[in-house]
Amino acid sequence: MSDTLQTVGRMIQEVIGDDWDLDQPITMETSFGDDLELESIEFVSLAEALKDEYGAEVDFVGWLSTKELDEIIKLKVGDVVEFIDLCRSSS
Amino acid sequence: MAEVTVGGLRFHVQRLGPEAGVPVVFLHGLIMDNLSSWFFTAAPKVAAHQPVVLYDLRGHGKSERPATGYGVQDMVEDLCGILDESLPADQRVELVGNSFGGLLALAFALARPERVRGLCLVDGQVHDEAFGPEMEASLGLEGRERDEMIARSFKDWLGRHSERKRNRLARNASELVHGTSLVRDIAHSVPPSARELERVSCPVLALYGEHSDVRERGENLAARLPHAQLEIIEGCTHSLLWEQTAQLEQRVLAWVGRESGEEG
Repeated sequence: MSDTLQTVGRMIQEVIGDDWDLDQPITMETSFGDDLELESIEFVSLAEALKDEYGAEVDFVGWLSTKELDEIIKLKVGDVVEFIDLCRSSS
Repeated sequence: MAEVTVGGLRFHVQRLGPEAGVPVVFLHGLIMDNLSSWFFTAAPKVAAHQPVVLYDLRGHGKSERPATGYGVQDMVEDLCGILDESLPADQRVELVGNSFGGLLALAFALARPERVRGLCLVDGQVHDEAFGPEMEASLGLEGRERDEMIARSFKDWLGRHSERKRNRLARNASELVHGTSLVRDIAHSVPPSARELERVSCPVLALYGEHSDVRERGENLAARLPHAQLEIIEGCTHSLLWEQTAQLEQRVLAWVGRESGEEG
């Protein structure tokens, strides 16, 4: 498991908190909607956690601004991990 | 979590985008809504150009949920406090409100005209004499009727979610409706008079869905406001934010980014 996937997985667990009941490990293929059933307000908290962790290096809101709602709904953990890695490799 | 304390209450506030430019404040709808509906639609697109402020109304999302104090004027005071904490005192803002957020935006423009540069109402609820009693009747239902009302609302707003998530959200909505004075407070809030509406000096973009149950009242409202521009979005209901998301985002982006004096 990549370091970024591990970090994002930990953040997701923290965001979901007491409601966490996923018995499968989080992978690149895990979807935020269908698999994690992340509420949209929890996804906002995840965006905030990413900002706290990576600062201006990873512009998650800027990335969202390029996406249509249907794309956001279908996002997988791997999409976010790959975006973070791309930002960090080019900075 | 990004928090701002106003009047002793903790509010969940998100600030996006640059520091410079006309700030845009997004207001969400009532009960089954929170700031995320703007966070994942128009807000990031606007934040690419202008400062953005988003917050959860009291009792909603991740803001604190007091037992009382849900009148329209209480929420106007909340917004005022959040702007005072988030922006320079003399800075005028663009307000963009969905559903009840539109009603709140207009109430704020009436109370604090010096802070508002323009309004965008997205199928905004209209605070006329009938609004309070109707809301009380629909949200004050009990038993089976209430469950059916909640189920209908979820079908409209949250059709994408699983049953487990729907149950969690329904529980949360029910706690807000039955565990606080929200319904009573809003129902007893005094609507603006026709004379007050005629004094709204800022430009207003009023967007309504062709098939929205609020459309006719929205048209009447727009006719009373001196600088309102009414646009009907074809094929949409009250949920036009979800039905024509991309079109709405473009319209909001052009409106809030207009030059001063321009009609957008």
